[in-house]
Amino acid sequence: MTRAYGSRLALDDVHLALEPGELAFLVGPSGAGKTTLLKLINREIRPTQGEVWVDGIAAHSLKASGVAGVRRRVGVVFQDYKLLPRLTAMENVALALQVTDLRVSDEEASDRALDALEAVGLGDRGRAFPHQLSGGQQQRVAVARAVVAQPPLLIADEPTGNLDLETSWEMMDLFEDIAAFGTAVLIATHNVEIVRRLQRRVITLVQGRLVRDQPAGRTGRLTWLASS
Amino acid sequence: MAGIVVRGRFPRRRMVQVVGTNIFRYIFRGAARNWVRNMGSTAPALGSMTLLLFLSGVIGLSGLALYNLEQVEAGQASVLHVYIRDSAASIDVDALWDRLTQDRRVASVALTTKAEALKRAQRIPGLPQLADASESNPFPASLDVQVKNINDVAAIDASVRNDIAVDPAYPTSYDQGAYQRIQAVLFGLAVAGLAFLALLGFVAVTVTVNSIRAAIHSRRDEVSIMQLVGAPRWMVRGPFVVEGAITGGIAGAVAGAVTFGLAMTGIAAGSSSFTQFAPGITATVAALAAATVFAVGLGLGSGSSLVSLRRHLES
Repeated sequence: MTRAYGSRLALDDVHLALEPGELAFLVGPSGAGKTTLLKLINREIRPTQGEVWVDGIAAHSLKASGVAGVRRRVGVVFQDYKLLPRLTAMENVALALQVTDLRVSDEEASDRALDALEAVGLGDRGRAFPHQLSGGQQQRVAVARAVVAQPPLLIADEPTGNLDLETSWEMMDLFEDIAAFGTAVLIATHNVEIVRRLQRRVITLVQGRLVRDQPAGRTGRLTWLASS
Repeated sequence: MAGIVVRGRFPRRRMVQVVGTNIFRYIFRGAARNWVRNMGSTAPALGSMTLLLFLSGVIGLSGLALYNLEQVEAGQASVLHVYIRDSAASIDVDALWDRLTQDRRVASVALTTKAEALKRAQRIPGLPQLADASESNPFPASLDVQVKNINDVAAIDASVRNDIAVDPAYPTSYDQGAYQRIQAVLFGLAVAGLAFLALLGFVAVTVTVNSIRAAIHSRRDEVSIMQLVGAPRWMVRGPFVVEGAITGGIAGAVAGAVTFGLAMTGIAAGSSSFTQFAPGITATVAALAAATVFAVGLGLGSGSSLVSLRRHLES
């Protein structure tokens, strides 16, 4: 896929596929096109050329009215959490369930939200509002919200950007668990230490081009470090 | 992780209840809560819309009254009084009567004697003094001709004014152009009223569109989060439309109530003079006008919101 903003190419002829249960890192210097790629997957923007397929849906050709269909299949985690401040942790998670499927009752939504919060280690903080939680806890709530509907794909844009190292590692453990349950996970990050130690697939973007796609277990020298 | 979720099969009625509850929560309750929260920014829209709707109600009722008045005037204008000469022979009057009754353009002919003319004049303010000032009865007998089509009144007038039985000094009551002048005045009033309403409507829609835009802007993060978690477009836009409808509904209810109250006060005060100035305005008509104002408010509010959403909310 290719994506241009005016005359500037943000992504230039990038090809990649993720398998179910695969965890991959998307790395590269600032402005390399990582966020653009994630936005294309979540159909926040359309490719200028090429195709984006998400769980069998052609995201590139969807009209605005069909975008919600793709987003139900993609869980998203942001660096700044993006929780609704007037809702509790439980309500934030339940919201993601009920807005995508109105047939989910309050009881079912609460049960499943609580399950998701327990899975991220916050079963006892469901009634807390975002401002009453630490950054790491807010990010965990965001992860719970992203996976509560059990999407086939989870994308995360700098999920550890606002977290300390210890919390970042806890977050990575969480992503590994999610991948172990069969969800494909794509994480855009600058955190070299995490990428090196986890030894997962690493996709490197530089100036909009996919310059390297290193399979899991063979993460050697990170190409983009030299250019950043 | 969340684990595998096994979904039970709800009975259809339960499913409908759950869906209804969720729609109510996310669309209507959310909209009501946001409306209360944004009341400050909504106030100008509410005020201008209330004013617009109230004036619409008043202008609408006035328009109806004027239309009825015009019908009354048209009815009166199509009656031609042919004044009989005092010295006219009865054979000549009978001949004129026969000629008029046989005319296809004439609906009916009635004779008003001098005595009846005097009696009628004494009921009209100012004329009794005139009648008393003269020793004899100054009011002539007349043939009151009801013409079927108001446009034929001039031709009937022309055909009778030189008749031997007709008073040569004041042959008929025909006043060329009187009805046309009334029509012109009413048409001018209608055009001015509509132009005024159009201007107010433009202002109200503009203010409402801007207030919804402000609401969208203030909840931009919330909207984008809803979109990112997969909320369908109608669920993101729905609360804004309902918010607009709440604004329009409240404005319509207030304006409708004031319009109704004003009309009822007029009717109660009234007096025959009111009935005369606003013919056809009854309690039922006033209630219908109030209901229409309310419905227009709902439509105006939600319509303005839709316009604003189309312009300002990216999908």
